[in-house]
Amino acid sequence: MLLRRSGEKSNREFHLEGITALDDQTAGDGTGPTNSVGVENEQILLEIADAVYTSEPSQLKEARRKGAGLLGEQALVDAIGVAAGFNGITKIANATGIPLDESTESQTIDMREMTQIDDYAEASKSRLWD
Amino acid sequence: MLYDQSLPVRDNVRQSHQAGLDQIASPGTWFTAAERFAIVSEARHASTCPLCVARKHAISPYIVDGGHDSATDLAVDIVEVIHRLVTDSGRLTERWFSDITGRDLSAEMYIEIVGVVATSIVIDSYSVALACELATPSQPIDGDPSKLSNSQVFNGGAWVPMLDSPQEASETGLPTQPNIGRAMGLVPSAIALFFPVMRSHYSLGDIDLGISRDQIELLAARISAHNQCFY
Repeated sequence: MLLRRSGEKSNREFHLEGITALDDQTAGDGTGPTNSVGVENEQILLEIADAVYTSEPSQLKEARRKGAGLLGEQALVDAIGVAAGFNGITKIANATGIPLDESTESQTIDMREMTQIDDYAEASKSRLWD
Repeated sequence: MLYDQSLPVRDNVRQSHQAGLDQIASPGTWFTAAERFAIVSEARHASTCPLCVARKHAISPYIVDGGHDSATDLAVDIVEVIHRLVTDSGRLTERWFSDITGRDLSAEMYIEIVGVVATSIVIDSYSVALACELATPSQPIDGDPSKLSNSQVFNGGAWVPMLDSPQEASETGLPTQPNIGRAMGLVPSAIALFFPVMRSHYSLGDIDLGISRDQIELLAARISAHNQCFY
């Protein structure tokens, strides 16, 4: 939701569905995402995030190799840092069932529906798995 | 020294990780240092647990019974919390939380576990991604947990009472103290452990990183989607 806010600041509109389409990252010919978000170097950034989440050694090695070439070493390490940070903080949110902050809740209704983020809400999780 | 000096790991990240590990090795509010050390060990072991693997692949984790493969002598319910946090936090529900805290594990103990596990996940995810050895907390420091409850909490709609702190609008569009910063309010030491580590990786405000704000938020959003995080 903060990516949308970041885009508003820079007068850019992002296609956020590309972030939650976890199984639809690349086109069949391997040339890039079928659902581009619109962020510079997004393909390698998504690969870095995916690799940090899975912690799979060969996936990480490839992400580091490509990331160092495309972003540079410092940016690669910083990107890994952001991903690692969110891999922890999301556990706190998931484990405590905190509601959205009021301003976020009221301003993101359409976006949450479009990106299917509402599927991650407690009511949906409870309906699906309890 | 944490991390190979040849890597461009920022000094504030090195320092925050070392400080976090030192805090984990100190007595907490509800657990001893040795128990906090064991929580980290258990978190590192969780991904190889056959029960967790089976649950991860099940249509619902709640239809797969069994015992966890534990690496420590922590209580069964504590192991359940740690393993679920590490391997499948996106499918935790309020009913599960109520069940697990309705027996011997208090909500305060639960929050301390969440704080230690989340901090270790940040540090370990970073280390693994950089192909570094996992950092080990220093020798646990003897001492009793303080067991001091925090009364400055309120019911804000989360599963747990949240930190009661002033809410004002900030220039980011979020309140000055968003709910994520208040979620562990039952145990202020958990907030004091996790957020200095987190802030060395990410900030809503200005932070000196080699990627743009758009790129930062793209990474954050992707990881949140993987973790099925509504917040």
